[in-house]
Amino acid sequence: MTATETDPTDGPDVAQAEGIGGQSKSFGRQTMENFLRHKLALAGLVIFVMIVVVTFLAPRLTSYSYDEINAADRAQGPSVDHLFGTDELGRDLWVRIWDGTYQSLRIALVVALVSTGIGGFLGAMAGYFGRWTDVLVTQLINLLLVVPGIVVLAVAGIKWGSKPFTMGVLLACLLWIRIARVVRAQFLSLKESEYVQAARALGAGSPRIIVRHLLPAVMGPMLVEVTLVASLAIGLEATLSFLGLGVQPPVPTLGNIINEFKGALDSRPSRVLIPGGILVTIALSLNFIGDGLRDALDPKSKKVRA
Amino acid sequence: MRGGGFGLLPAPLVPLDVSLGESPVFAYAARRLLATVPLFLLATLAVFWLVNEVGDPRDRLATCSTCDQSAYDHLVELYQLEDPIVVRWGNWLGAAVTGDMGEAISQGNEPVMGIVRERAKNTALIAIPAFLLTVVVALGMSVWSAIRQYSASDYLITGVSFIGIAIPTFVLGLALQTLMLWSLKYWDLKPFYVSGMRDDSLLEFFRSAAMPAFTLAFISIGAEARFGRAAMLEVVGSDYIRTARAKGLAERTVIMKHALRNGLVTFVTVWALDFAALVGGALITETVFNWPGLGRLLIGSLFAQDIHLAMAAIFFISGLAIVCNLLADLLYGVIDPRIRFD
Amino acid sequence: MSEPIITVDGLSVAFPTPVGTVRAVNDVSFDVRGGETLAVVGESGSGKSVSALALMGLLPDTAQVSGSAMFGGQDLLAMSQRELRSIRGGEIAMIFQDPMTAMNPLFSVGNQIAEAVSVHQPDRTKDEAFGRAIDLLDIVGVPEPARRARQYPHEFSGGMRQRAMIAMAMANDPMLLIADEPTTALDVTIQAQVVEVMQAAQEATGAAIMMITHDLGLVAGLADRVQVMYGGRIVEAGSTDDIFYRSLNPYTRGLMRSIPQLGPRRADRLVPIAGTPPSLVNLPQGCAFNPRCEYRTDICDEVPDLATVAPGHQSRCHHSADLEPLETAGQGA
Repeated sequence: MTATETDPTDGPDVAQAEGIGGQSKSFGRQTMENFLRHKLALAGLVIFVMIVVVTFLAPRLTSYSYDEINAADRAQGPSVDHLFGTDELGRDLWVRIWDGTYQSLRIALVVALVSTGIGGFLGAMAGYFGRWTDVLVTQLINLLLVVPGIVVLAVAGIKWGSKPFTMGVLLACLLWIRIARVVRAQFLSLKESEYVQAARALGAGSPRIIVRHLLPAVMGPMLVEVTLVASLAIGLEATLSFLGLGVQPPVPTLGNIINEFKGALDSRPSRVLIPGGILVTIALSLNFIGDGLRDALDPKSKKVRA
Repeated sequence: MRGGGFGLLPAPLVPLDVSLGESPVFAYAARRLLATVPLFLLATLAVFWLVNEVGDPRDRLATCSTCDQSAYDHLVELYQLEDPIVVRWGNWLGAAVTGDMGEAISQGNEPVMGIVRERAKNTALIAIPAFLLTVVVALGMSVWSAIRQYSASDYLITGVSFIGIAIPTFVLGLALQTLMLWSLKYWDLKPFYVSGMRDDSLLEFFRSAAMPAFTLAFISIGAEARFGRAAMLEVVGSDYIRTARAKGLAERTVIMKHALRNGLVTFVTVWALDFAALVGGALITETVFNWPGLGRLLIGSLFAQDIHLAMAAIFFISGLAIVCNLLADLLYGVIDPRIRFD
Repeated sequence: MSEPIITVDGLSVAFPTPVGTVRAVNDVSFDVRGGETLAVVGESGSGKSVSALALMGLLPDTAQVSGSAMFGGQDLLAMSQRELRSIRGGEIAMIFQDPMTAMNPLFSVGNQIAEAVSVHQPDRTKDEAFGRAIDLLDIVGVPEPARRARQYPHEFSGGMRQRAMIAMAMANDPMLLIADEPTTALDVTIQAQVVEVMQAAQEATGAAIMMITHDLGLVAGLADRVQVMYGGRIVEAGSTDDIFYRSLNPYTRGLMRSIPQLGPRRADRLVPIAGTPPSLVNLPQGCAFNPRCEYRTDICDEVPDLATVAPGHQSRCHHSADLEPLETAGQGA
């Protein structure tokens, strides 16, 4: 006598309630539906997309170019003409700040790709082949973590963080660890699962098992982690650039823009608060997306987020 | 984003399921320590190399008009700039373990140890209060959220913790500074200082330490509350809590005796690790608030290419982090009987 | 038999969810008599566990409970949590399915049993309570009880853990022991031992047992009376023999037919019940079983009453009288 296990004492239990007598859906479809139901995640996605769009459109939305100096308009606060105000030299800040946003986003993308590459590969090797491979990877991770990350980044940032691309690679050299952990954990737990054993019993070799059976299951949690890594990357890069240990002017990033204007905090706080606000918004929206994905992927997800 | 930790926590180096005779906990600690030391040494070599890559100390002299050949020679001798990096590292390490961390060329050639000790004390003066605040608030928030799930206060707590996680430390610090400046400008009130450390009186000290400590705490609380809420929810929803209720225990006992104890197991390890992260976060906070601590010392020394000073600061911070990690492992073993015996 | 110690009338439990209201229990009425063993049988989702939890007041706050449950002159469903606490673990005790997770891993087994004692017998000192815990472990057949009481749950095997749970439940000599799938998580051989322990405890204290299970073998061996639940309702109730050999309900018959049997009839095929259990959000119109029932007619769009079809035997079916007579030999486990 088997039937889907239901435990109605859990209260609002959406996924389960639907499962009782509802139609069966594919995992991907169910995940997407769960995600769309998660209002915060949806909001995060919308906001993030909007920011990306504005970043690309920004130069077109104003008549001022990046270097244009208008001495007459120096050091103004936000106005209709200059939505974000101008700096000491009369340069429009709207363009500058969105340019900085662009660089920050670019760096986040580099970090996401590189860390996924390294972390995915090493995590998979460690998780699937186990024993010596696992020990090697784990010890490598421990080595990288002995000295607190921020310290390593501070030191390395001076030399390798001055250009956006190398900064991205540098950050990825530490952040891959998060991806590797997730991937490794998934591989470790899944490789002994019954459907993998069944595949082996049917004659599937390791590469096939990895690609066909294990990778799809890993994708989800990995994607969740990637959004969080991207969020961290943006914050870390901004922090390093703010400290002067990261991307150097004239290349703008949100971090070094804030650094540049921190002195005028009492006269023109908007110059700090606007890029700061953009930073927080990006980070928040990425976090929400990651959260929503995590809940959406969990087939037993009980949370119904308002 | 948390300044120091950003969620990268080391995994135990040794599997937890080994115990030796009578004192498994201490044997485990010894084993862990033994395994960490070689990694630490290797890491110091890497960092030493990195710090030296930052720049050649002799470059400073290029702008110094009063410096002559003897200044160059002094630097070459001090840092053994002619020798291979491994040798230099070896000598540095050898001197370091005897307590001689060298001279700080950016601070009038004062012995490094004294400077580091002084600055470390200052960092502790904001890190420890921030830590205590975090512990109390995060635990409280987590328990509250777990027993009042989906209530308005739960959403508020969740919201606050999300902000704490997403906001970079320096942005929060700057925002608080702005707030204080506004408060002075528009309401003529200056409850807290936002720059530098005052130590003329206890009150003045408190007024100058409050903002940096709060910044550190807010970030930590964000992460801990989020994690803690999930952990406590899981505990509160578990079968043994149901059993406790079925036995007729008062709800208060159920939460305070059973749920809290089980939740604490996970919390305690997080606290140990978070302390290390907090110290890392101080690097940023001290810069924003001009606090004369270890973090700001490190950054300053990097810019000044003061190798000995930088290495000492890094050594200290890393050592602290290692102790915290070890403590986390030990605590976990002590509190959870399953780990001890398995 | 003897007098009812608990009388449930019109119990209904519903949970609001974003996809609709889950009607877990629909208008359930029954009683449990002193000293008897009542088995509550049904598939997952039939509402059997929820009804028990409703009696104990252990449902989440979102649950909407209606009806009454008279125990000792008081309505359990109308009592506050504070009032219920003096009964829970005292006069009514409950044990759950998975003994591994049912005990707090951080406290010793003896400590947790002693806790059950202390709550309801506050005049006992901690040492006395612990001593009683050791005695209880001895009664349920845990070897070396004094040593074992100081151990932690993970050091006990599955069967021993469930015995410890029984000890915890019997600590205050309850009048009613509710057992929710007590053997499901255990190996078959251990199941038998646990069942023996429960029977012994019952004989010693005269407690009634309300046994919730989907294991018909367990029911046959242990129960005096059986009630079968489906779609949140009781569909048949009677003595064990009534249910096994003289069932007058299509669903119950379907259950009986689908049990694998050892013995001379092994060559027969298993006959599963066609279809799937109903969605508790969207219960079928009328009788919950009608989409799957071979005796279905139009009248089944109305919910049948739980009618008495023989002395002490009730069935909720419009067609009870029309069912073909059963072969009596070998039916049931």
